Amino acid sequence: MPASPPPTPAIEPTPASRHVFFSPARIWAIATNTLLELFRLKVFYFLLIFALVLIGSSAFMIEFNFQEQFQLLKDVSLGAMSIFTWLLSVLATAMLLPKDIEDRTLYTILAKPVPRFEYLIGKLLGVLLLLLISTLVMSALFVIALWGREQMVIADTIRTSTGTPPAQLEEVLRGIRSSTFTFSLIPGIAIIYVKAALFASLTLFISTFASSTIFTIMVSMACYFIGHLQGIARDYWLGSATTGPLPRIFLALVALVFPDLQLFNLVDDIVAGNSIPMVLFAKTAALGGLYTCIYLLVAYFAFASKEL
Amino acid sequence: MSAISIQNLTKVFPIPFRRERIVAVRNLSLEVEPGQVYGLLGPNGSGKSTTMKIVLGLVSPSAGSTRIFGRDSKEVESREEVGFLPENPYFYKFLTGEEALHFYGKICGLHGAKLRERTGELLNLVGLKHARDRRLAGYSKGMLQRIGLAQALIQQPRLLVLDEPTAGVDPAGSREIRDLILDFKKQGITVLLCSHLLSQVQEICDRIGILHKGVLVREGRLDELISIENQTEIILEGASPEVLARIHAMLSESGARVLAERKPQTTLERFFLEVTSSSKKN
Repeated sequence: MPASPPPTPAIEPTPASRHVFFSPARIWAIATNTLLELFRLKVFYFLLIFALVLIGSSAFMIEFNFQEQFQLLKDVSLGAMSIFTWLLSVLATAMLLPKDIEDRTLYTILAKPVPRFEYLIGKLLGVLLLLLISTLVMSALFVIALWGREQMVIADTIRTSTGTPPAQLEEVLRGIRSSTFTFSLIPGIAIIYVKAALFASLTLFISTFASSTIFTIMVSMACYFIGHLQGIARDYWLGSATTGPLPRIFLALVALVFPDLQLFNLVDDIVAGNSIPMVLFAKTAALGGLYTCIYLLVAYFAFASKEL
Repeated sequence: MSAISIQNLTKVFPIPFRRERIVAVRNLSLEVEPGQVYGLLGPNGSGKSTTMKIVLGLVSPSAGSTRIFGRDSKEVESREEVGFLPENPYFYKFLTGEEALHFYGKICGLHGAKLRERTGELLNLVGLKHARDRRLAGYSKGMLQRIGLAQALIQQPRLLVLDEPTAGVDPAGSREIRDLILDFKKQGITVLLCSHLLSQVQEICDRIGILHKGVLVREGRLDELISIENQTEIILEGASPEVLARIHAMLSESGARVLAERKPQTTLERFFLEVTSSSKKN
């Protein structure tokens, strides 16, 4: 500190009525700060692992024909993308709220004119931005890997097709190109993102009452597995086979509280070459958005009454 | 209108899975007038932090009410007027000093040139201009405390709530924070201060309240509370032995009793600062 402090700026009374009930600017400030936090925590390093998975999968492709090669690459890439975005959504969200409480940073934010719902929306938006960037980067890596593989296969085909009539060769090359990237993959990637967003919101809700980051991660992961069984629980609940009141209450609880994650597995169909109707895609995306909003709302009710 | 008005405040914390309850604050009432530096004192667990959190709207009262410049503390709007420095603040370590102030400014509705100007002023005020681009993870305890003070002031609040503002800070830093608080007072900012450093509280507070087990046991103007009514202190400079002998004679004639006579001593803090500042010059 300097020996003789400079003259202090005059403090004028703040105008009493300048507070805005809902401020997108405040939410954006919290969201970008959350994104910066996750960025500087180097969470993007996991993208390197994704890239390694893509490179590693190439080692197994030598003995397959080109359709099988592209099929395998799509399977591995979209499967890895699905797991990585889900893991990222859980791990990144789980630490945000408990860490702010533990470090008392939350006190300094909520002691400012920031409503609690804006804080929660800002945090979630920050994670959603992170997931969006990650999904776009992974998609770009996937497309580059697919394009690279396509070029290799085309070069091999041309090399081994000496003497093949040009028209026949062109036909083969067209077949190769149509087996690589198609626009039908985009809805599949979009649903991977929607599923990760749903989990970010669910994890945020869990973190509002959880006592630690580890507990939040464990509960969130348990929800992931239960979510994949939700369809079975719902069928048993609605069916007449289960008659006992306690099992029925339990099944109803699972069916009502947890999302049916099987509905979000559109990627398998897309990779198998089946195109997804736009209506199904829109319904699945809307369902994911609805779950995300519901969990955020419940998170707000839990957080609004939380004693800090 | 009072800067802070606390009326019949009670806070009870239930213990989960038990029938017991902890009464953190019991029927507390006090007023802090605008421009005052008010010291809230008490041992650990006396209810100081709970009271502060209720004033800041972080905890809701079980009974009673708190108001900031006439507005209920539960209203988010009331926090327009408040700056808060928690005890041992960590802030976001991944931010630089300047980024941290920008973040707090933005959530208070500042932006653009006004935000940049205010950030520059505050970094200058707390003496951290040289460290503006350094991440908070590399800040010392004293520097964190000072950036904490700067973030508390970012939206030009009329009330500052400071929880142990000099905890863990070296004597020179502590003195500088004390001087800043006195500056705030000159500017008309009300300060609610919680501190265990009673000598510092004595130096800067106009009024104090002492909490014990959630109950306000004493409250009032500091000079009135600590003065001893039937004693008088006179400090002389340049008095010869003859003058002192005459004073003693007069005193014995009047029936007054001399309780102590000694050379005035400087404080350990002042002595420490003199020694460390002279060694810096050498």
